[in-house]
Amino acid sequence: MAEPFKNTPPKPEKLGAMTEECLKAAFAGESQASQKYLAFAARAEEEGFPNVARLFQAVAFAESTHARNHLSVMGGIGGTVDNLKAAFGGETFEIDEMYPAYDAVAKLQGAKEAQTSIRYAKTAEKDHQAIYQATGAAAQDGKDLTGGAIRVCPICGHTVIGDAPDECPVCGTAGQFFKTF
Amino acid sequence: MTDEVLEQKLPKPEALNAMTDQSLHAAFAGESQAAEKYMVFAEQAEEEGFPNIARLFRAISFAETRHARNHLRVMSGINQTADNLLVAYQGETFEIEEMYPAYQAIAKFQQNHQAYRSTTFALKAEQDHQRMYAGAREAALQGDDIADQPVSVCLACGHTVVGDVPDKCPVCAADKKYYRTFA
Repeated sequence: MAEPFKNTPPKPEKLGAMTEECLKAAFAGESQASQKYLAFAARAEEEGFPNVARLFQAVAFAESTHARNHLSVMGGIGGTVDNLKAAFGGETFEIDEMYPAYDAVAKLQGAKEAQTSIRYAKTAEKDHQAIYQATGAAAQDGKDLTGGAIRVCPICGHTVIGDAPDECPVCGTAGQFFKTF
Repeated sequence: MTDEVLEQKLPKPEALNAMTDQSLHAAFAGESQAAEKYMVFAEQAEEEGFPNIARLFRAISFAETRHARNHLRVMSGINQTADNLLVAYQGETFEIEEMYPAYQAIAKFQQNHQAYRSTTFALKAEQDHQRMYAGAREAALQGDDIADQPVSVCLACGHTVVGDVPDKCPVCAADKKYYRTFA
């Protein structure tokens, strides 16, 4: 991309602790707003408001640019090898600590749908952890990922490299509905 | 498999106790942030000449958005469009009136120039969003959609405009070619 744009987004800088705390919270807020608006867009589409759906999609994208800017100022965007390490670390925390803890609470409180939502996520994070680990090792040697298309279940987020299964092994959704990258 | 059959597989809204609700809020926050991070990491991988790692980050980002949506559904966070527009409007209003002014004041006090710019870019765009959501809610309450017009977003600062794109972004001065249009 040409220089004028590249120079425009805010750049990493050394931050005071309080400013860093603000940017972390703002990054969390923008990220959540973006995801909410995408879910709201799908709902507007279902209700026959295609133009409201488009507005939600566009604003979700705008919030993503804010999230990126805040992340950039915090120095949160490294080289790809480091980014893969950070991604692996995040997935590992969710698998080893976050989701098991949340699952225990949901079980204790008899929240069935919450347990399903947590199980879907935790199962997919294991796919991601394994893929990030292998990819990170290759990237360290300067190698790109191989294996072809990546497919994601639109219901539970189950992620595979290569062909989609006939049926999602996690939630049973037919493979034809997987989103292909 | 129809849309309805697919819908059956999604976790459903349910009455939640406070601690489970708190868990899902935190999980929604985590998934949302992971999805954003991975999209940014995808751009970085692309720039470094790793197109397949870029694709991987984009695919996994999408998977995280599925988790975020599922958690939000269970928390009853997805409602009718008129109500969703109100929630969106209120979120923007909070950011405009409280969150970003507070963060700007701290960034200024600590002389963090880039943080000040990043919060200012966001604050200005949230004002566009607040106004657009207010108008859309008015229409949706009457059962009407908004006008069929493209919406464009500045790639640098998030400035959002309905209809024609300005020659230069009024917020960050990026050229009009750096707008992404939702046609």
